[in-house]
Amino acid sequence: MANGWSLIISIVFIIVFSAAAWFFSPKGDTQTVWRSTLILSAWSCWLMWAITFLAQWHPLIMPERSDLRPEYHNGPVKGGGSMF
Amino acid sequence: MAPAKDSLFRSVDMTLTQLYVANEIGREVASALGEVGCMQFRDLNPDTTAFQRTFTQEIRRLDNVERQLNYFRAQMEKNDVGMRPIYDFNHTLAAPSASEIDELADRSQSLEQRIQGLNDSYETLKKRETELTEWRWVLREAGGFFDRARGQTEEIRQSIDSSDDAPLLRDVEQANGSTDARGQQSFSVMNIGFVAGVIPRERMGAFERILWRTLRGNLYMNQSEIPDPIVDPEKNEEVHKNVFVIFAHGKEVIAKIRKISESLGADIYNVDENSELRRDQIHEVNNRIQDITNVLSNTKRTLDAELTQIGRSLAAWMIVIKKEKAVYQTLNRFSYDPARKTLVAEAWCPTNSLGLVKSTLQDVNDRAGLSVPTIVNQVKTSKTPPTYNRTNKFTLGFQTIIDAYGTAKYTEINPGLPTIVTFPFLFAVMFGDFGHGAIMALAAVAMIYWEKPLQRGKQDELFSMAFYGRYIMLMMGIFSMYTGVIYCDVFSKELPLFPSMWEWQFPDNYEAGQGTVTAKRVEGYTYPFGMDWRWHDTENDLLFSNSYKMKLSIIMGWAHMTYSLCLSYINARHFKTPIDIFGNFLPGMIFFQSIFGYLVFTIIYKWSIDWYAIGQQPPGLLNMLIYMFLSPGTVEEQLYSGQGPIQVILVLLALAMVPILLFLKPFYLRWEHNRARAMGYRGIGETTTVSALDAEDDEEGRHSQANGRPSADSEMDGGAMITQDIGGGEEGHEEFEFSEVMIHQVIHTIEFCLNCVSHTASYLRLWALSLAHQQLSIVLWSMTLANAFAFDGALGIFVIFVFFVLWFALTVAVLVVMEGTSAMLHSLRLHWVEAMSKHFMGDGIPFEPFSFEIMLEDEMTELK
Repeated sequence: MANGWSLIISIVFIIVFSAAAWFFSPKGDTQTVWRSTLILSAWSCWLMWAITFLAQWHPLIMPERSDLRPEYHNGPVKGGGSMF
Repeated sequence: MAPAKDSLFRSVDMTLTQLYVANEIGREVASALGEVGCMQFRDLNPDTTAFQRTFTQEIRRLDNVERQLNYFRAQMEKNDVGMRPIYDFNHTLAAPSASEIDELADRSQSLEQRIQGLNDSYETLKKRETELTEWRWVLREAGGFFDRARGQTEEIRQSIDSSDDAPLLRDVEQANGSTDARGQQSFSVMNIGFVAGVIPRERMGAFERILWRTLRGNLYMNQSEIPDPIVDPEKNEEVHKNVFVIFAHGKEVIAKIRKISESLGADIYNVDENSELRRDQIHEVNNRIQDITNVLSNTKRTLDAELTQIGRSLAAWMIVIKKEKAVYQTLNRFSYDPARKTLVAEAWCPTNSLGLVKSTLQDVNDRAGLSVPTIVNQVKTSKTPPTYNRTNKFTLGFQTIIDAYGTAKYTEINPGLPTIVTFPFLFAVMFGDFGHGAIMALAAVAMIYWEKPLQRGKQDELFSMAFYGRYIMLMMGIFSMYTGVIYCDVFSKELPLFPSMWEWQFPDNYEAGQGTVTAKRVEGYTYPFGMDWRWHDTENDLLFSNSYKMKLSIIMGWAHMTYSLCLSYINARHFKTPIDIFGNFLPGMIFFQSIFGYLVFTIIYKWSIDWYAIGQQPPGLLNMLIYMFLSPGTVEEQLYSGQGPIQVILVLLALAMVPILLFLKPFYLRWEHNRARAMGYRGIGETTTVSALDAEDDEEGRHSQANGRPSADSEMDGGAMITQDIGGGEEGHEEFEFSEVMIHQVIHTIEFCLNCVSHTASYLRLWALSLAHQQLSIVLWSMTLANAFAFDGALGIFVIFVFFVLWFALTVAVLVVMEGTSAMLHSLRLHWVEAMSKHFMGDGIPFEPFSFEIMLEDEMTELK
């Protein structure tokens, strides 16, 4: 399951992806654009994911709500009668 | 050495080339180069006015042809004749020969005369027709007045006879005293004249008032409206007019009325008072109108046929003429060498295109069968070459974003390359919603799929802007879908991709609405991708996402700025100015990292520690950063052991960088300058002192020049000032001025240090906008669709449909278009100000090649 290792695994994955993007980008005039765009996108997206992951890794607060109905208690659909 | 491959990373290598072109093929050469479109010709006769240039005559002639073609176009528009669109022609219209141009000029000359003749006769006929129509109306309406008036002559006469206070008609009475009452009483007998005509309806009031005042009421006026509008043939607009008949007494008065009515734009028509004659007149007028209508329709048909004929090739002609004109304008920039009968041109050309240019010139030469080759010389120069980035349709939009801010210095790193990702990505951080992103991406995909037809169609301003940035929109949409998944938002609803890491812990016998339920974490499990969907609709959702998004934006900003700062290192390497690395990049980087790099470190460190497991209170990072400067060394809430000393070291490190940033570069430059001086180098064009007492002054002179300036007193002792102006008028070497460099560096230092703080804070807009976007979409959902779900049955279907339409329209208009625009502007600002200030020099000159394609781009839109 998702834990601290996923950070390292994801970094390795992104490095492999970047290397692949560097070497397999189509040759020609657009090579630089391909390389830069793929690698930069990969790292930006990874950064976004990593921040979100880290923020939930050791959360300091828990979700709280008072409009729950126990019969739906762990289903994906929940909420008060007026909502659905 | 083979030139490096062109890429978007830097602007391409430019070479100043000199062309020696045989005079005979000058026109062909310029035209061929215009098709290639990669040379920017320098003006070699900057002192010559536009009228004195060699090819002014030709340009004037072409101007005339262009005017004629425009005249045809105006006529076609006036007559609603369609033009064959530009796209039907072969796109690469071959350059026409000179004789073809002549032929075209002659042809358009004769066509113009013909069209003008047809037009004139058409207009004359039309005018005649209008006049006749008006006359017919006057005859018809005025006839009515006469018939009515005649029935009343008897009464008029009687009223005159019976009362003495009718001075107006007294004379009439006397003059015609002998005339007794007859059956056919005519007005002329009573010496009453009349004027009949038509006048535009809106002038009627003024006309009446003026007549009344000038004639003091001595008139009798009748008028009626013409129901059909009359078309003015000159202006081609419809005018409503009135027919009037004015009866008055006396020749002078009638003449006066005529004058007044003519001055007010009325048309006066001849009407006979005899009803039979009038009937004849009407008859005749009708016949004439019939004839004129026939002739008119014939003329019109000929004109239309002629214009249709022209319209078939007008667009091509216009392009030919425009190209030809541009060729001569370019040739005017060439200088002529009368001794060798050659034209000399200087142009900036991308080094990699030189081969293409040479082969093109060779082709032109071969075609002309000339033995004298066209010579292409590469010139070494100290002039700054123009900045040119080769773009394609994908990169064009992003490059435009950068160029809108400033032109990059020649071969400095082009921020346009990373912008392809960072611009849409930062946008997406603010616009994170899978649904909204999908709408945007689909719109962009549609625009890309129907690229060709859309390009040809007419576009309004807003759409053409979106169309221009369709690839930017595509990237923005894709990244927004990604960040939407990360934020776990689809149209403000959650996206449960994985099992949640939270489970609700219901107390025993819990019933709905019985108080707050807190979720418990599933042991050892972290939600693997993006935000946990269970946070949706919770009471403390904002608390969590606030802290998350604020930290997210700080880290994003830090990463973006560090990246941009690193580009300045590559720039310094490229321009071989190591002092920029040691004097600017390194101290700046250390300053930035020891404050904000450290902040990012603490954020991540705090996240990685399980504070509940170690049983400690997590410290607030904001206070930590503030107290790091206010009271260095003391740590109230400890984040990690040894925090105090490390923070002291970091603060000292940051402070130590300020003087380095401030003084290293200016003093190094001064040292370098003085060393060069000591070795006897001088700038070109610098003022030098030549003295008769050279040997004696030597020592003194060196002293005075040690501060970089020849002192004033050294020229007093017999030395003559000689200013060498080599390469007159060109940008020379700037003289080293220590104070200027120092001031510049002081400004840079202050700016950099303050901006580190303010720019980091500026990235908090990512947090604010993404929160605002999310909240807005939640509000929209709960105010529209959520209410609709309360209904059921047939009404429910209807209500849900109506509310869905409302919700969807508002989603597109407000959340995608408006919010998208605002997020785009914020992202734009983050690039222009926060990122580009870290490395962008931007004192380049844009490359403006002589290219038919670029020149005609505007025309294309016009000729659609």
